[in-house]
Amino acid sequence: MKRIGVLTGGGDCPGLNAAIRAIVRTAVGLHGWEVLGFRDGWRGVMRGDVRELTVESVQGILHRGGTILGSSGANPYHEGGIERVRTTFRDLGIEGLIAIGGEGTLGAAAHMSEEGLAVVGVPKTIDNDLSGTDSCIGYHTAVQVATDAIDRLHTTAESHNRLMLVEVMGRSAGWIALAAGLAGGADMILIPERPFDVDEICAHVRRRHLRGHSFSIVVVAEGAVPVEGTFELPEYPTDERGFPRFGGIAHHLAPVLEQRTGFESRVTVLGHVQRGGAPCAEDRILATRLAIAATDLVEAGRWGQMVGVRGPDIVDVPLGEAARIRRVPEELYRVAEVFFDT
Amino acid sequence: MRVGILTGGGDVPGLNACIKAVTMRASGEGHIVIGIRRGWAGILECNPDDPESIKENTIPLNPSVVRTIDRTGGTFLHTSRTNPARVRPQDEPPFLRTEGGGDEPRDHTDHVLRVIDKLGIDAIIPIGGDDTLSFALRLHDEGVPVVAIPKTMDNDVHGTDYCIGFSTAVTRTVNFIHQLRTSAGSHERLAVVEVFGRYSGETSLVSAYLAGVDRAIISEVPFDIEKLARLLMEDKAANPSKYAMMTISEGATMTGGEMVMGGTEDAYGHRKLGGIGAITGEALREITGQGIVYQQLGYLMRSGNPDSLDLMVAINYAVMAADLVIGGEFGRLVALRNGNYTNVPIAVVRQGVKRVDVGALYDVENYRPKIRHVDGKPMFLY
Repeated sequence: MKRIGVLTGGGDCPGLNAAIRAIVRTAVGLHGWEVLGFRDGWRGVMRGDVRELTVESVQGILHRGGTILGSSGANPYHEGGIERVRTTFRDLGIEGLIAIGGEGTLGAAAHMSEEGLAVVGVPKTIDNDLSGTDSCIGYHTAVQVATDAIDRLHTTAESHNRLMLVEVMGRSAGWIALAAGLAGGADMILIPERPFDVDEICAHVRRRHLRGHSFSIVVVAEGAVPVEGTFELPEYPTDERGFPRFGGIAHHLAPVLEQRTGFESRVTVLGHVQRGGAPCAEDRILATRLAIAATDLVEAGRWGQMVGVRGPDIVDVPLGEAARIRRVPEELYRVAEVFFDT
Repeated sequence: MRVGILTGGGDVPGLNACIKAVTMRASGEGHIVIGIRRGWAGILECNPDDPESIKENTIPLNPSVVRTIDRTGGTFLHTSRTNPARVRPQDEPPFLRTEGGGDEPRDHTDHVLRVIDKLGIDAIIPIGGDDTLSFALRLHDEGVPVVAIPKTMDNDVHGTDYCIGFSTAVTRTVNFIHQLRTSAGSHERLAVVEVFGRYSGETSLVSAYLAGVDRAIISEVPFDIEKLARLLMEDKAANPSKYAMMTISEGATMTGGEMVMGGTEDAYGHRKLGGIGAITGEALREITGQGIVYQQLGYLMRSGNPDSLDLMVAINYAVMAADLVIGGEFGRLVALRNGNYTNVPIAVVRQGVKRVDVGALYDVENYRPKIRHVDGKPMFLY
């Protein structure tokens, strides 16, 4: 009997359980294979920490956020090497693995694939910044949460004549900021792709005020960067792997904007609520389609690929090409920009 | 009669429904309602000799103006924290500015009395928290007919069991806590949720009680970080999903520490708080070596639409306040006492802010709600 493994790695997001469910329902329910779920991402693979996933074990999880498998940022290339992964594959007798993850998890999967291990990737990241797909599991829910928050913050901004800064996730790309800003009617959107100029933001806020608007809402991606030399970014602490732990740029911007514009400025950092809670319908559907496509790849023995979505179609691309950063294109930013100054 | 209405302090959901209900009730009886913009600032900054200034600072309210305002949160009249009895020299409107006198806050109550007189306002309905209402009490002492409506997200005005905004704030917090559970659980972390509540820990306590979180730190009781870390690790070990969840008031302090103040102090002695949750999260990370989910809920607790309870209370307070004004009963604060709508002398706001009854509701040893003997307690427990 065919036996495969599945894991979820990196930050959790809504829709992971929908993907796990779809894999199990197809692989076990339809094909009669065995599916082993690794606990806590790659850590579970290195430790051989698994449990069997039955059709019963994935009942009632479609609408639940998080991941029943647990997750971690563990990366075999940083901790112990690929040999342990190989050993686990051999000991458990698994033919291959479906890895659901973002840049880090799929980057590791790409390496393993090059070294001959049988891996298929499913893209998830609320940041939505993977090159091999138009959208990733978790992104749509995050945009909805951020849009709801911006809608609500309008009432407070209006009541107090304030400048409201809303900080959302997005380290290397500003997808959430752009989409939620567009949907929520933001008066300015700061994303990593488009370095900001504090003078320009201030001038913009003043222009709005002169036109009779008493408040402004500025959406800031956590990874937003200033035009070089115009603003001092905070020093981000680094995590155990040396990556910056973003968050807090809005807290640094607010006092500067307040001082220069004379407008009271207040900060809301959306943080983890963007990736907690139940997935929206779009994410459940996307997760389900991608998961079934990944299972189809396994069935066909087409390892080393990542499934993705391109327009209306489900596609697959080599893992090595899939896990690069995809940035917000200029033309999309221009759509949002129309509403900044009119 | 000409009735003035204003909203002061932080915005909360339900204010617009309150403004609308006062307007409908009073205009229905043939009275004129005048909305004063931006709380007490609308009177302080109004130059009664300048028609433009009157137009900028007031807005006539009638059923067609207020028809749709109750469908959104915030306050249609806008708000401020201005207290005309304590105005920083730099905040004085130009026509009130005088040379000299130093940097001390100044008392412009006389100007306010003159504006009220010039605008022909016969009675004022201020909607606000302890700070806004303390100036209402001052006006009452000066002989101005006042009926006050309590609102604060912290539910901390004396004399009433309930203030507009509290229910929505708790509802939001409970929802966010449950949403954060999936992240905290997936990563097996300790989650620290920081809530607004400067001197009263009721939002932290009640949200923790209703959402079933493991530990709640409140403004009233300084906490020992080592002990908190130990308790959370026990909670995590006992949880089949291997995480622990705590709430913390923004005004909480560690034993031996002081309230963490971010930003600068405003003229009314308020500092912009926030930050104890981040500091606690960092300390927990160091002590336990665990990953931390830190979330400051902040403005998301009080922005947006009111829930049905806040609508209910906001509208009933409004009707009651309008009735008192129409009946010529002044110097009152509308209130809920033991589950009944009533009114009390406005002088109760002199008692400062109401704080959590720690002995009755909080387990100081285990840092969590201790709710027993509910029988006989008011709906919101204190």
